[in-house]
Amino acid sequence: MERVLVGLKRVVDYNVRVRIRSDGSGVETDGVKMSINPFDEIALEEALRMKERGEANEVVVVSIGGSECQQQLRTGLAMGADRAILVETAESVNPLTGARIFLELIKREAAELVLLGKQAIDDDNNQTGQMLAALWGRPQATFASRIELNGSTAKVTREVDVGLETIEVDLPAVITTDLRLNEPRYVKLPDIMKAKKKPLDQIPVADLAVESAASITAVTFEPPEQRQKGIIVKDVAELVAALKDKGLV
Amino acid sequence: MLVDELKSIVGTSGWTSDPDELLPHLTEWRDVFHGETLLMVSPGSTEQVSAVIRACAAGNTAVVPQGGNTGLCGGAIPDQTGQQVLLSLSRMNAIRCVSPNDFSMIVEAGCILADVQAAARQAARFFPLSLAAEGTCQIGGNLSTNAGGINVLRYGNARDQVLGLEVVLADGTIWNGLRGLRKDTAGYDIKHLFIGSEGTLGVITAANLRLYPEVRESQTAMIAVNSPQHAVDLLVELRGSLADQLQAFELIPSRAIRYLRRHMSALRMPFTDDYPWYVLLESSLGDDAQTLESALAAALEKRLGVDAVVAKNVSEQEGLWRIRHSISEVQKFEGVSLKHDVSVPLGKIGAFIEAAEAAVLKLMPDARIVAFGHIGDGNVHFNISQPKSWEGDRFREKAASLSNVVYEIVSSLQGSISAEHGIGQLKRELLKQYRGEEEIAVMKSIKAALDPGNILNPGKVL
Ligand SMILES: Cc1cc2nc3c(=O)[nH]c(=O)nc-3n(C[C@H](O)[C@H](O)[C@H](O)COP(=O)(O)OP(=O)(O)OC[C@H]3O[C@@H](n4cnc5c(N)ncnc54)[C@H](O)[C@@H]3O)c2cc1C
Repeated sequence: MERVLVGLKRVVDYNVRVRIRSDGSGVETDGVKMSINPFDEIALEEALRMKERGEANEVVVVSIGGSECQQQLRTGLAMGADRAILVETAESVNPLTGARIFLELIKREAAELVLLGKQAIDDDNNQTGQMLAALWGRPQATFASRIELNGSTAKVTREVDVGLETIEVDLPAVITTDLRLNEPRYVKLPDIMKAKKKPLDQIPVADLAVESAASITAVTFEPPEQRQKGIIVKDVAELVAALKDKGLV
Repeated sequence: MLVDELKSIVGTSGWTSDPDELLPHLTEWRDVFHGETLLMVSPGSTEQVSAVIRACAAGNTAVVPQGGNTGLCGGAIPDQTGQQVLLSLSRMNAIRCVSPNDFSMIVEAGCILADVQAAARQAARFFPLSLAAEGTCQIGGNLSTNAGGINVLRYGNARDQVLGLEVVLADGTIWNGLRGLRKDTAGYDIKHLFIGSEGTLGVITAANLRLYPEVRESQTAMIAVNSPQHAVDLLVELRGSLADQLQAFELIPSRAIRYLRRHMSALRMPFTDDYPWYVLLESSLGDDAQTLESALAAALEKRLGVDAVVAKNVSEQEGLWRIRHSISEVQKFEGVSLKHDVSVPLGKIGAFIEAAEAAVLKLMPDARIVAFGHIGDGNVHFNISQPKSWEGDRFREKAASLSNVVYEIVSSLQGSISAEHGIGQLKRELLKQYRGEEEIAVMKSIKAALDPGNILNPGKVL
């Protein structure tokens, strides 16, 4: 296969306690550790392994957002991607717009496989891969925990509610990755330095002429109500009394 | 009866003599020291601590303060007479107040270190004291041993985090020195007497601690180096290029990595190749994420390091630190381990490790040396695992002669036989041997002045 496209979204690091901006306009990202969406990192790791096995010639990483996303793309390049594309936009991008942007890039790049995380940990939408497959008119295999390429098909083990399901899809296709697919590699310093010289194309979103699907406006953000501290009761009688007291029984 | 009096001071939930409950308090982490006790009391307030001490002083009975019992020199373990009272600070675990605008907080001695860190974080502040035992050890224990840990390089050790103390003295007097001043030259600064005194001069009941602005973002890197001297050269180089940003700088030997691969295979190792030594460093983020990368690249160019990884997210940062924090634990799986917590002037670390290795291997060619630790502070845990095929006891018999050569080299380099773990009952003889008579005499007169009846942790330190 000639080319794999991998999406890398810049998100607040998984281990950072998310805070709401004091004016309720969104999540605080100033001075907060930002990283590649963990599922996307897994997608990239899988693409790199395909390349290392000789199943793919080129791995191209894509991010949509502001110029700060270059940081995540450079990390992707340091992991081993060949090229990067930053689709530049100042707007927040919802799954449908994201899918449309990817569709344009698939055409431009003649990609045969698109690997995306099953969802981004910031908005948890879990939609982009599915929408992209529909727009593209190609098969989708979501929640992959194992991928085996056989020429023109891919055998994918999916994590579904009842256990594991294995399906076979024709390529080109969209595959979205789950947590157990692999463990992404550490990046080596020499590769970080090399990555600074790898090509990173910046394309203004307007150049792709996709219709923006901005249909939802966020009005305000609020933290969830704080959970009250638990209390330890001595016996059932005290439990019942406490529940009654709170009007719960 | 003293025992009855103590029981009535602390109330029913404040004492135990149940052997099962006592067991974890009478043995310690390394399983070297075992003690007995008259009674374990866990007072719930400073006033109760005071009453306990007053009663023990009247009854001429020794008191052994205990925090999280993670100390490594047997300082918190009573002797075997069964006549000493064990004073656990565990129930005094209130965070009295956090004052983010004063950059300080007042906590009781029994607060677990990790809880202190979390309370600071909750107020968007940073409490820098951090060590592998932080989930168990208590701030009172940390201060009483003047603990070091991983952030000494930038923030100093436990002593440097203290703005004030509340201490119960040997006669039961409560000294409230929680003032929290950053500048105070009114007379002797007596809080520093209690810090690092391992419970022999007073019982710390609360502390006013210094807080720092939160370190929002940091980077973690692991660098393969060819020798400890290269690690030190790397440190010097990076302190130049990163200045104040360098927060921790730890040495890890390849043997520790081999142990971890063998016994804790779930830990992920960043390098597939084996290198003789590694450095783990933490750097706060300056204006630009690339600063550390270019500083490291320049260092590798100068051949100070062979290879390096930089964690790309917090999970990886934590993963790298887990490697470092598992080293103490993993040595247990390789038989008896002889420990030397020593420090030498920074520039002499390379020379020390080289000389000590050579001397130990000359005495015992099959000894397995694990030299690791906070080399950014000139502190090495120069540990020796028993030869693989030996019986533990055979190795123990030779321990003294091995330790002797190590301490002799430390001494010849103007180092210390205890960098951060203290003296306890383990190193009393060594203290006498390696500290001058005049220094010991001053220590003795301080002890006699503050604890004339010798009831506070007798048999420890001096
Ligand atoms: C896995 C591991 C890693 C460690 N890493 C480090 C490290 O990196 N750096 C370092 O410096 N140390 C380290 N230590 C040892 C360190 O000294 C202890 O972890 C810690 O500082 C002791 O706290 P504690 O509450 O457990 O004290 P304990 O062990 O309970 O007591 C230690 C001494 O202090 C006295 N004491 C305790 N509380 C009080 C009090 N309130 N008032 C008066 N005296 C008191 C005791 O009598 C005893 O002499 C490590 C230990 C372990 C097990």
